[in-house]
Amino acid sequence: MLNFSVTFKSGIPIYEQVIYAVKKALVSGQLKAGDPFPSVRELSKELRINPNTVQKIIANLVQEKILETRPGIGSIISKRTPATLEKKQNLLDTEIEHLVVEAKQLSIKKSEIWEALQKHWEKG
Amino acid sequence: MENAIEIRNLTKRFGKNTAVANLDLSIPTGSIFAFLGPNGAGKTTTIKTVMNIMTPTSGSAKILDVDSQKLSPKELMQIGYVSENHDLPLWMTVKQFLAYCKTMYPQWDDQFCQRLLKQFDLPLNKKLRDLSRGMKMKAVLVSSLAYHPKLLILDEPFSGLDPLVRQEFIDGILEITGNREWTIFISSHDIDEVERLADWVGIIDKGHFKVAEKAESLHQRFKKIEFTSDITPAAMPTIPAEWLSFQHKGRAVCFIDSAYEEPASKKKICELFPEASNITVSTLSLKEIFLTLSKQFKMMNL
Repeated sequence: MLNFSVTFKSGIPIYEQVIYAVKKALVSGQLKAGDPFPSVRELSKELRINPNTVQKIIANLVQEKILETRPGIGSIISKRTPATLEKKQNLLDTEIEHLVVEAKQLSIKKSEIWEALQKHWEKG
Repeated sequence: MENAIEIRNLTKRFGKNTAVANLDLSIPTGSIFAFLGPNGAGKTTTIKTVMNIMTPTSGSAKILDVDSQKLSPKELMQIGYVSENHDLPLWMTVKQFLAYCKTMYPQWDDQFCQRLLKQFDLPLNKKLRDLSRGMKMKAVLVSSLAYHPKLLILDEPFSGLDPLVRQEFIDGILEITGNREWTIFISSHDIDEVERLADWVGIIDKGHFKVAEKAESLHQRFKKIEFTSDITPAAMPTIPAEWLSFQHKGRAVCFIDSAYEEPASKKKICELFPEASNITVSTLSLKEIFLTLSKQFKMMNL
């Protein structure tokens, strides 16, 4: 068993889905700074995915400073570093715009979005 | 060694029938290569030629850097081969079968073999003839993994296996990736079975090779595009060749871009459909990509 949960959906690259699952586990507290992160083999076997894909996932998480590699031990979850302005801007502009467009298209009211946003905020 | 398998201009004919025509294919070392195609596309013939079970009519195949027709026990000791139509000594028990295989491989790993047997829940004292199809396939897989081959070739390993056995089988296959050097070449007619495993995808149809590409690059270049347009059928521009499965109904336009690039693709849409609005780009599963390509091949063959 892994120390964080991953649920696969079809149509989205595995790589993106696992990275998202790790981020979600960090937000929910399933993974905390200092926790060990599974090795390539463990992750590949548990999720039944290609070890090359796992290698890329780990490289990406290291690059995003979510993971640190400790020689001889493996990877651990690193202490959270403040996000870059660029990343924050991307979330606030692009992603929120996307949400608003989708919501308007589905005739969801502003108050409903607000409510849902608050609910997820509290949960995370 | 860059490629575990290298096929050059391979042709195999049976009388007047051409099963494989001028096939070129490289399987990079360290990859899980999914060899896909409908039943009768030429997958098994290709594999049997690579394994020197059949002789090519023309062309050649190299496997672990050796010409397939010169394969010796030295190379065969590095190759695991699991096929759906293996000729098995059905009178042997699982135990006898594995003991028999062991004599051919000096590097046979007893401990690993025991672990696999336990993992697969194989009954040692049952005769192969009394095993279910899934159990038989698992016995063959154990016999092909226990000597840590550098290359594992699987011909339609999943057909007819129930979902649980299939999962166990995948677990077994992934064991080989713990070796220092490994490559997995897996043929299948159903992409669902290999979607999560494959990092390379090759598609063969009617003996001809269509695509060999990294799964990642397929995901990147194949996108589903949808937009709204008031265009009349009379004013419809010529659709670029890379736009597949183009459909237009009412104001809705939908197609699959097989050469998607940011931002060039969107620019092209706006050039051809100046009044296009609500352009959405979404990702496709490997299955959807495979189906789109298969449809395309059919149209080209007509």
